[in-house]
Amino acid sequence: MIKVSVNGEIQELEEGLNIRQMIKALNYRTEGFAVAINTTFVSIKSYEKTIIKDGDNIDILAPVQGG
Amino acid sequence: MNNDTWEIGGKTLNSRLLIGSALYPSPANMEEAIKESEAEIVTVALRRQSAGEGGGNNFWNIIKELNIHVLPNTAGCHTSKEAITTAMMAREVFDTNWIKLEVIGDQYNLQPDPFETVKSAEILIKEGFEVFPYTTDDLVVAKRLADVGCKIIMPWGSMIGSGKGLMNPDNLKAIREQFPDLNLIVDAGIGRPSDATEAMELGYDGVLLNSAIALAQDPILMAKAFKNAVEAGHLGYKAGTMQQREFASPSTPTIGTPFWHQFS
Repeated sequence: MIKVSVNGEIQELEEGLNIRQMIKALNYRTEGFAVAINTTFVSIKSYEKTIIKDGDNIDILAPVQGG
Repeated sequence: MNNDTWEIGGKTLNSRLLIGSALYPSPANMEEAIKESEAEIVTVALRRQSAGEGGGNNFWNIIKELNIHVLPNTAGCHTSKEAITTAMMAREVFDTNWIKLEVIGDQYNLQPDPFETVKSAEILIKEGFEVFPYTTDDLVVAKRLADVGCKIIMPWGSMIGSGKGLMNPDNLKAIREQFPDLNLIVDAGIGRPSDATEAMELGYDGVLLNSAIALAQDPILMAKAFKNAVEAGHLGYKAGTMQQREFASPSTPTIGTPFWHQFS
């Protein structure tokens, strides 16, 4: 298992998951969101090939009201 | 009815009112207020999704059904790095290259950081974004933003959410005079419909506001008030206001004034 921060909360994940698998494992919405790892944007095209690493800071953002 | 259209970010619009989607009493109220405003650009944001939310996104579904242009913001960012990452994420989620660039330099008054804003704008323009930068009414910062390629500049009227109106109309006027060909939008600080009219009378191309409508006692009615206020100010600017005078001048003809007698 690895420990990562997802949206500010520490989570334990199986080692070797890609972004798509992590989203499913943590029961996040499967569409209408964008991801950044360690404050760097990761395009949807790279979800399968991007493997989550121990200590990663992951942000999963979705549309909300804004001014 | 105002039939003159204008262009911003490659789109042709009728409305010069840009509206925010936050702080309304309810999603239904937001939807009705946006419709009543007849705004064609609505600002939105990105925030952390909660785990286990599953399902759909009610807010985003409402906005999509309005079928108007979406302007995502980078609200809450304090560095160029954060703003650029947020912009990239917004481009993917909202499927637009428009970004309302906000890089805050002071948490107390939410004043934009001019250094990080200019730096971010330069990078984002190179990355293909149409940048709508939120800035102060500082002419030199506006110049720097224009220098790096911004076609749109959005100086504040006053602090975000303050409702204090236009603190420095002379500064806003100077920016308008220096940049006759850029799209200028007064963003933030508008409180009353007359504030929006004043901004438009200065020759601004549009007004962006949120709290003034959303926090009104009746946001739907206030949306209509702002629609009319923006249009009135724009028409007033186009029509050209009269020169002020330092003396009174009667508007009713003096020739033929009754009850005037040479021998009285």
